[in-house]
Amino acid sequence: MLKRFRSLLRVLTRRRDFEAGMAEELRFHLEQYAADLTRSGVPPEEAARRARLEFGGLNSVKGDCREARGLYLFDEIERELRYAARLLRKSPAFTATALLTLALCFGANLTIFAVIDAILLRPLPFPEAGRLVTIFNTYPKAGVERDGSSLTNYYERRGHIPAFSSLSIYRFGSAIVGEAGSTGRERITQVSPDFFTTLGAGPAFGSVFTDAETTYQTDDVAILGDAYWRQHFNGDRGAIGRTIRVDGFPKTVVGVLPAGFSFLSSESQLYLPLASSPEQRLPRERHSGGNVTQMIARLKPGATLGQAQSQIDAQNTALEKNDPQAKMMADAGFRSLVVPLHADQVAAIRPTLLLLQAGVFALLLIGTVNLVNLLLIRASGRSKELAVRQALGASRRYVVAEVVVETTLLTLLGGLLGLAVGAGGIRLVAALGADRLPFGAHIAFDLRLAMVALAAAIVLGGVLAAPIAWFNLRVYPANALQSEPRGGTAGRAAQSLRHGFIVAQIALAFVLLAGAGLLGLSLKRAMAVSPGFRSDHVITGQISLVGNKYPSPSAGLAFTGRLVDELGHQPGVLSVGAANNIPFSGANGKSAAAVEGHVLRPGESPRGHYSYGVDGDYFPAMGFTLRAGRFLTGADSRRGVRVCVVDEDFARYYWPHTSALGHRLFQGSEPGPEGEAFTVVGVVGSIKQAGLTDDAAQGAVYYPYVYRPDSNIFVAVRGSVRPDSLGHALERATRQIDPELAVNDIQSMDDRIDSSLVARRSPALLAGIFSGMALLLVAIGTYGVLSYTVAQRRREIGVRMALGARPEQIRGQFISLALRLLAGGAALGLAGAWLTGQAMRAVLFHVPAHSSAILAGSAGVIAIVALAACLLPAHRAARISPMQALADQ
Amino acid sequence: MSDKSADLLPGTLDMLILKAVSLKPLHGYGVLLRIRQISRDALQIPQGSLYPALYRLEHQGLVATAWGQSENNRRAKYYTLTAAGRRRLREETAGWHRLTSAIAAALNTTSEEV
Repeated sequence: MLKRFRSLLRVLTRRRDFEAGMAEELRFHLEQYAADLTRSGVPPEEAARRARLEFGGLNSVKGDCREARGLYLFDEIERELRYAARLLRKSPAFTATALLTLALCFGANLTIFAVIDAILLRPLPFPEAGRLVTIFNTYPKAGVERDGSSLTNYYERRGHIPAFSSLSIYRFGSAIVGEAGSTGRERITQVSPDFFTTLGAGPAFGSVFTDAETTYQTDDVAILGDAYWRQHFNGDRGAIGRTIRVDGFPKTVVGVLPAGFSFLSSESQLYLPLASSPEQRLPRERHSGGNVTQMIARLKPGATLGQAQSQIDAQNTALEKNDPQAKMMADAGFRSLVVPLHADQVAAIRPTLLLLQAGVFALLLIGTVNLVNLLLIRASGRSKELAVRQALGASRRYVVAEVVVETTLLTLLGGLLGLAVGAGGIRLVAALGADRLPFGAHIAFDLRLAMVALAAAIVLGGVLAAPIAWFNLRVYPANALQSEPRGGTAGRAAQSLRHGFIVAQIALAFVLLAGAGLLGLSLKRAMAVSPGFRSDHVITGQISLVGNKYPSPSAGLAFTGRLVDELGHQPGVLSVGAANNIPFSGANGKSAAAVEGHVLRPGESPRGHYSYGVDGDYFPAMGFTLRAGRFLTGADSRRGVRVCVVDEDFARYYWPHTSALGHRLFQGSEPGPEGEAFTVVGVVGSIKQAGLTDDAAQGAVYYPYVYRPDSNIFVAVRGSVRPDSLGHALERATRQIDPELAVNDIQSMDDRIDSSLVARRSPALLAGIFSGMALLLVAIGTYGVLSYTVAQRRREIGVRMALGARPEQIRGQFISLALRLLAGGAALGLAGAWLTGQAMRAVLFHVPAHSSAILAGSAGVIAIVALAACLLPAHRAARISPMQALADQ
Repeated sequence: MSDKSADLLPGTLDMLILKAVSLKPLHGYGVLLRIRQISRDALQIPQGSLYPALYRLEHQGLVATAWGQSENNRRAKYYTLTAAGRRRLREETAGWHRLTSAIAAALNTTSEEV
């Protein structure tokens, strides 16, 4: 078998050699034979004639030889291809429409598939990645859906959950790396020693971290990413044992990761041990995850998610027996959830992506239907030719093969163009922010995608061929060859098929339009939401206060004080503030606050609140509104007054009937000693914390920075000048105070709010593009089919007009046909849109799944497009001149 | 054609070609002559079906081809038997002998033996 295949391949690749060799061989034979005949006394001319005669037809012998070498099928396909190409060239308008349709539909599908492939389909790049899970604490009744895992969780679970073969924790962060004077900020990942074992992928050379390296005194080691190693050590294996400085501390390189290593969406090039002190591992720290430390684990072969979950639950229950916080945590609905790692990463974006894929698939369906209709029309035009060929003995197989070759040629060409469109589309979605999605950086146009497109093109070729072949086989020579080929069953059946397809098309476009409308309206509603503060003219930036210069919160406080002062005197600056976090930063952790005198009602659970430490004129800078009392100022931090400001949601929740001012609260979930109480001195308006579409009014507490310090601070500057010049001022002032510090992530608040909407805007925009394309296709399809119907019934119309029918009657007849198709399509579309609305509930914002405005709007748009597409053919029908129509043919 | 000549039985052409080529590498015309010669002019091969048969055998890997010089110094394509071809020839020869002896035995049967 293989041998024959190879022989065939050899002949195919050297086809010209094969033909030349065969000709020469046969010529040699004829000449030798003729020469032998001459030698036996036959005159030369007679000899040549007899040799040819006895040999038989040269061409048929050659054909037999080719067939003997297995070339027959290929020759036939080549012939068909040439025929198909000629047909396509002969009707450029049809071919261009078809190719454009295919290119757009394929391109759109490829684009979305590339996104889905990169994000949802590709497994994580680790061996048996399906066994990787993540475990996180959740306190749903306290409004904290997700709180990561604590160090205590890690040390308690490690080795004690039989369903896991390995369990580890990690923490994303950033650090200043390099010697003084040539430092750069790098993303880092702190990991427990077993992190690489859990993943099943570790350093290319060198070693992983050990348990001994998990204390603050011994964590002076680092593992480098391949890119960092190549860039800073020139790919030298001698890097092992060398020292790099991270946040000013020396770290010895112990390992280098392989080139392909990437963990989730992290671009981290530096892995450090996740060090902790014994105090941080105590049981009382069990619930202090704070969503910064995350846990992953690998399921043992044969172990299930359910087993792991019940073992974790059992351990939690056992540990809670001696836990004074147990009651409160139970009230908060505490659980530790085990979730597949990959699914967890993409859970938020999954419904949107699937919806978009459904949308582009609908577009492909519309395009396909369009093509079938166009092909059917063409086939009707060729039915006479086909009938002649069938009468002359063309086999059924041949008729089918011809159609299949033609449609496949068409879809393959369209697929090739679609690849180009898809490549552009992938760039478009990247520009729309797809690269910021989890694994979005992996979205790429690659061979795998091209193969999928090729396979899809071939399948589509077959799908398109089926109805056309059916039609061609039903052409009855006797009917088709009559001078008036109307009335054949194939003609009537084909016509209802065409009309059915138009109805389907209109319905699909309707659904697509309604879906896009829902997404668009959701976006509009989300954009209309006020963030609760004045976000214009504010620039924000992030500064990491690390290294030997900032060992304590007070050193950080000195820095923020100077920075606020320095910036405040710059021209154009109105107010400056600093905080440990700002809204829309993407890192909004909640923590508990115990309100003095507040007794939990039965069934009420402690709540997580957004908590900030603020310095300088943070509130005026961010444009907060004051409802009562006063704002916090820099003086509160410096004088060390225990005061705080709460937002309206907080005040309303705890003191619904009285003023919040003067009441006291404590940081943490339990009231502390008398001296640690914070007195409420102000109430500010509630703001959106994580995104404009936040619905929960979770409440927020603002403390003086000194009571809630962080080595990572945000600075907010409000000014009367353009935000980017404020940004420059911020950078200049920072460098003036400490040349080694850098300001990162400088963005205006407006931009931050804007990018928080990317997960809504891009899908809405894409859906809008898709429905626009769908409408165009519907217009083309309706126009094409009606034009054809008019052309086909020219004679009949001519006769009727000769008998006295008025042009308006003729026009009305076609418009009423279009209206009937439209009504059918709209009715189906309405049902489809209803189902789609149901499926979209999860991604809608303040829009009912069955918005009658959107349904009516979609119906209106579709009606306009479909009627516009039928006006021209109807008009043409009304203008048919009876004389001419009857004189034709 | 003489009275002695016989038409080829279907399926026997391949076997004869393999036999002819097994004696010595031959070009196509040579195969024709050789079969005539070894069958003492008894077997007439339709010239038109010789080449498709040769190509089929080549496709099956039973013969190999190479371009060479003919006896009158012209370029010609020579066919040689491959190892697979030799095996096939042996099998077909044995099969043929079995068949002919069986048919001969059948044809020589007399009424007493039934």
